[in-house]
Amino acid sequence: MTDFADTFPPRGTRSDAEPGDPQPQGIYPPTEEMLNAPVDPAVAKAQENRLRAVWKQPQGWRYWSAVNNSEVGAWYSLTAFAFMLAAGVLALLMRVQLAVPDNDFISADRFNQFFTMHGSAMMFLFAVPMFEAISILLLPAFLGARDMPFPRLSAYGYWSFLIGGIFVLGSVLFDVAPNSGWFMYPPLATEAEGPGSDIWLLGLSFIEVASIAAAVELIVGVIKCRPPGMRINLMPLYAWYVLVVGGMILFAFPPLIAGDFLFEMQRSFDWPFFDPERGGDPMLWQHLFWIFGHPEVYIIFLPSIAIAAMVVPTAARRPITGYSWIVLSAVGTGFLSFGLWVHHMFTTGLPSLSLGFFSAASEAVVIPTGVQLFAFVATLMVGRVKMILPMLWIAGALAIFTAGGLTGIMVAVAPFDWQVHDTYFIVAHLHYTLFGGMIFPIIGGVYYFYPFITKKKMSDRLGRWAFWLMFTGFNLCFLPMHVTGLQGMPRRVFTYPEELGWNALNMVSTIGAFVTAAGVLVFAWDLLRPKSRQPLTERNPWGGGTLEWAHDVPDPGWGARSVPYITSRYPLWDEPELVGRMDAGRFYIPDAPEGKRETIVTSAVDAVPQHVARVTGPAWCTIVAAVFTGGAFIFPTFHWYLPAIVCGVLAIATVLYWLWTSTAQIPEAPMKDAGLGLRLPTYVSGAKAPGWWAVFITMLGDSTAFASLVFGVFFYWTARPDFPPEGADHANLALAALAAAFVAASWGATRIARSQNRRGNVARTRLLLAAAPVLALASAASLVGAVWLPDMDPVSHVYPAMMWALVVWFCAHVLLGVIMQGYCLAGSVFGKLTPRYDADLWNTALFWHFKLVMGLVGIAVIALLPRML
Amino acid sequence: MLGHRHSSLWHMILAPTVWAVHFCVLYGWTAVQCARAGGPDAARTGVLVATAVALVAIVVLGWKAWKQWDYLDDFDYVHDQPTTEHRREFLGHAGWLLAIVSAIGVGFNALPAIFIRSCL
Repeated sequence: MTDFADTFPPRGTRSDAEPGDPQPQGIYPPTEEMLNAPVDPAVAKAQENRLRAVWKQPQGWRYWSAVNNSEVGAWYSLTAFAFMLAAGVLALLMRVQLAVPDNDFISADRFNQFFTMHGSAMMFLFAVPMFEAISILLLPAFLGARDMPFPRLSAYGYWSFLIGGIFVLGSVLFDVAPNSGWFMYPPLATEAEGPGSDIWLLGLSFIEVASIAAAVELIVGVIKCRPPGMRINLMPLYAWYVLVVGGMILFAFPPLIAGDFLFEMQRSFDWPFFDPERGGDPMLWQHLFWIFGHPEVYIIFLPSIAIAAMVVPTAARRPITGYSWIVLSAVGTGFLSFGLWVHHMFTTGLPSLSLGFFSAASEAVVIPTGVQLFAFVATLMVGRVKMILPMLWIAGALAIFTAGGLTGIMVAVAPFDWQVHDTYFIVAHLHYTLFGGMIFPIIGGVYYFYPFITKKKMSDRLGRWAFWLMFTGFNLCFLPMHVTGLQGMPRRVFTYPEELGWNALNMVSTIGAFVTAAGVLVFAWDLLRPKSRQPLTERNPWGGGTLEWAHDVPDPGWGARSVPYITSRYPLWDEPELVGRMDAGRFYIPDAPEGKRETIVTSAVDAVPQHVARVTGPAWCTIVAAVFTGGAFIFPTFHWYLPAIVCGVLAIATVLYWLWTSTAQIPEAPMKDAGLGLRLPTYVSGAKAPGWWAVFITMLGDSTAFASLVFGVFFYWTARPDFPPEGADHANLALAALAAAFVAASWGATRIARSQNRRGNVARTRLLLAAAPVLALASAASLVGAVWLPDMDPVSHVYPAMMWALVVWFCAHVLLGVIMQGYCLAGSVFGKLTPRYDADLWNTALFWHFKLVMGLVGIAVIALLPRML
Repeated sequence: MLGHRHSSLWHMILAPTVWAVHFCVLYGWTAVQCARAGGPDAARTGVLVATAVALVAIVVLGWKAWKQWDYLDDFDYVHDQPTTEHRREFLGHAGWLLAIVSAIGVGFNALPAIFIRSCL
């Protein structure tokens, strides 16, 4: 049945060749005989009690220190839902204002704040966080894992999101909300009075960082935390989508963060990135924003459609048709969606040849997007469909999304877009894609997964009421907007004169908006109404086939009683005895004798067990770190830089405390019995460790942000005749070369320290780790000197400003790298990092690989490139 | 670093990566030619050359993925068994499908250079 013989024990890779790495030992895969052997009930009971104690939730006020994915995921999704309701209220107020012509219900400026906050909150505080929330909540269960690989990181992300969200959304109550539209186009947004633009920039940057943290965690979760045996071709489709979307976040969010950085430098320090009078160009912001903004739409859409991919097989009561095709669809959409950004900029006067490329890519993305919808329809056609309530929502979603997709094809054609750009036609189009591609599947998913999350059921009757209210209300609201738009009504106008003939259409839209809101309220009531007197649900109420339905009722908090060995895509359908074996503790890590939270880490493709990872437990340091990080981002909004710096330092200190006390802990024994005759290492470093992957993935995202800055240099060169200006001073060549030499030396010292440490040369390791930060700081000082000496004034022109931006980027990374080197040095001195247990040093060396490449490219762009342009 | 193609996710996404590189080359090349040098003819010629190169690369990758899928061997297209063979064939199948989509995408992106003769 299985043939793991060629992969176990795992083939030696380069990192395995290092001496001292413990290898998995024993039997894998388990034989049928072993799986059939009964577990002594007394032993099982004792194991169960130990596990229960380890995974017990903190009680009372300490509940808020919980980091378990089921708690954090629930808070996260409820918070995102609350922000959604708030943004929905803004929409209703706008619809009241637009119901009749010449209305003065709200003022023009307040209307501007409302549409800006409606868009920003729906995108940044609801749609993307909702994906992260639901994935944190569900992913470990899909994978039969105990928890996410980095629970405290999820909690930190959540608290950051909560603080940032309240800050950004709260501004609307004080009449200081951003008011330049959710895409913040300069010069309107750069010149805007008051702190609105800064609130948007800093508040949302803060949340973007939290999003990237979640993406890192989810990718590592999918790659490394699958149960033994769940090869890549057996993975639940939801995990495929999470993997793709996580990858997309890494390439989509960093350009916006880079853009935010430039934007805030202009707002705070008058560096003229978007000011044409000093060589800047507002178009750069549009590019960076939409390189983020368009993939963002698919980042929202794909995880929601992933829920459909879980519901459809259950409703059709058969495996999904065309698994490979859906993988093609998810991956293909993930790629192609990055080639669409300029279709938001068709009216900005780019060469029509360039417009053509983006128009063509926008048409091409329909192919992978459509494939998955056909795969769902095919599954339903060949299955025996039971029209469960979640399926009703999915069906409504497919109908609405298809309509939105069709108008999408229309607006992807540049000449048509020129006609309807910035009209209500676009408003209709985007709401069709987002309601069909996000709201409806998510609500369907809530109905579907609610029994899994709370072990209670929602009401079928209320669910149908909510569906039909929302479905009719939505179409009543947005279908007429296509016509309103074609009749010429522009977006974002706060009112319109009576004689233009838009009155009836707008009134219908307003009525539709309130019908939709009634549906949302019915859903919200059904979601939140007290259910304490309601009986618990049965274990698998819909008859699903994937692992989340193996969870016990009531929820014992441990996720999986024992981590199963998986041999099929729908284990609950194909192996009737699986749940019984999981419950009996027949599978892996059924016990917690050391009193530690653990989960199994497996290889990326074939899910061969590699490691028993200790995961972190409840903590307050995540909240403290989030509060200080919030301070570091929020104080600059009011130009209070000193408190911001203090908060930043304290945030770093808290994170260091958190890492030092709970990550890469030296285990009590190098190996442990994982059950079923398998012994696994309790500590791994390098490419087998989840932490190494997290650094790798984070640095990929970081490199994207850096690449966006370099793109900015090339952009100015092609778009502006005076970049660099005639006779401008360039960076000092000798000092730049010195900076390159120092950064390379610091990298070399770190890398050699890693291998010296492995060989047991602890003294030499410490020497190298002490020298490396000095070299790194010297490189930063040299590079600052290289732009300081020629007196390149960043306020005078965009060319020196851009060079300074690259230097700031370089120095910020040097600081980070120095902290990491210092952390390893301290680890070596205080016995946290030994020749055997060296994960931190591997991760630091990995960071420095990226830093070296980025540093050298950056220095070349600063010192060499402008001389050649 | 990529590992063997039979067990590598990286190989699966090589064809769409070619699409992405091709797309960036088209965008960058056209921007430079239209703004700084050359003009429309140079822009269009470059696009067509880049497209030819990209299509050749995708055809090679697609052919390798097709061999890896090994469809004509047992006409299996479901790949839901916990075996090395099914994992290999699955990655090949997905890679092959991605190669087709990438080829279509590359072809689509070249069309503007055939129809549009100016930089305006």
